[in-house]
Amino acid sequence: MNSPLRRFSVVSLLAAGLLSLSGCQTPRDAKYIESGGASTVVTLDQINIQDWNRAADAMVASLLSSGVLERVPEQPAVLAISRIVNNTQQQVDTDSLTKKIRVALNQSGKVITTTTLGLGGKVEDPLAKESAEMAAMMAGQKQVTRLPYYTLSGKLLEDRAQAGKVKQVTYTFQLSLTTVKDGLAVWEEEKQITKQGTRSSVGW
Amino acid sequence: MKSFALFAATAALLLPLTGCQTNVNTVSRAEPLARPTLVNDKRVVTDRSLGELIGVVSVNETIVSGNLRKVQVTLENLRDNNREIRYRFEWFDQDGMAVGGVSELWLPLVLAGRETRSVSTVATSPRAADFTLKIVEGK
Repeated sequence: MNSPLRRFSVVSLLAAGLLSLSGCQTPRDAKYIESGGASTVVTLDQINIQDWNRAADAMVASLLSSGVLERVPEQPAVLAISRIVNNTQQQVDTDSLTKKIRVALNQSGKVITTTTLGLGGKVEDPLAKESAEMAAMMAGQKQVTRLPYYTLSGKLLEDRAQAGKVKQVTYTFQLSLTTVKDGLAVWEEEKQITKQGTRSSVGW
Repeated sequence: MKSFALFAATAALLLPLTGCQTNVNTVSRAEPLARPTLVNDKRVVTDRSLGELIGVVSVNETIVSGNLRKVQVTLENLRDNNREIRYRFEWFDQDGMAVGGVSELWLPLVLAGRETRSVSTVATSPRAADFTLKIVEGK
């Protein structure tokens, strides 16, 4: 073996040794990672946790920056969650998106969400609804429900493309905030997230 | 050794063809109408190589929805190559306590060669007073 080649081999071995110590290698044993963080798995066949997080973050930033929540006559405005249509190939729980948005809006103090009024009579908290009805009945009064000022509706879309071995998927998150009294969408937003690759990976 | 040298030379020749060196030309108004509220910033650089690759051009802030802070940081790729980074905003209240919220997550950003891009965030809590932007190199 000549000298430069030996030197190259030694450098390569040293580099490989250092790399294994740097924490960049793919983990084999289960461990805790930050949810939605940079070490999460990225797949091409499903909406990953980081995709939900990014979509929710973009939606919240857009809604809070839009100024529509300042025009509410009485703060906090009451929000009811309407239909979020899932037109993707996978079965998803749209709460993965809407709950994050609800939490953020709740923290902002601008909006509170009703849990006793739901699409098609399906309420999120039936016990709260029944208890309110019971309390009103016991008091001999008619139950008064605070009606929502806004409703939140939306749609999830999926677009797939492939070039050779490279697959690409785009998830589109669409949301509309409608004022109940006139049925007008006062805020609308769309966020697209595109992923491309040949296989799933750890980290992004 | 000869084959290694040949491989290195071929790789060097092919690299410019891979699309990794796409610089960005820009045009904008000579006298901008915008009058941003600039924030004096403090920078802590622990990754010197990244500090030489990505520069912070400006930091400005505004108030949205009556009492929520929005900050925008303009970043610049100081090199000719595409650069992938991840960034994350964190918010703190008047007492220096972390506020938390959905906006505190690592987000990816790809900057083309010499490109300038702005990243922004809105604090979801009116208690949020100060912020930190963290930047790390992408995968």
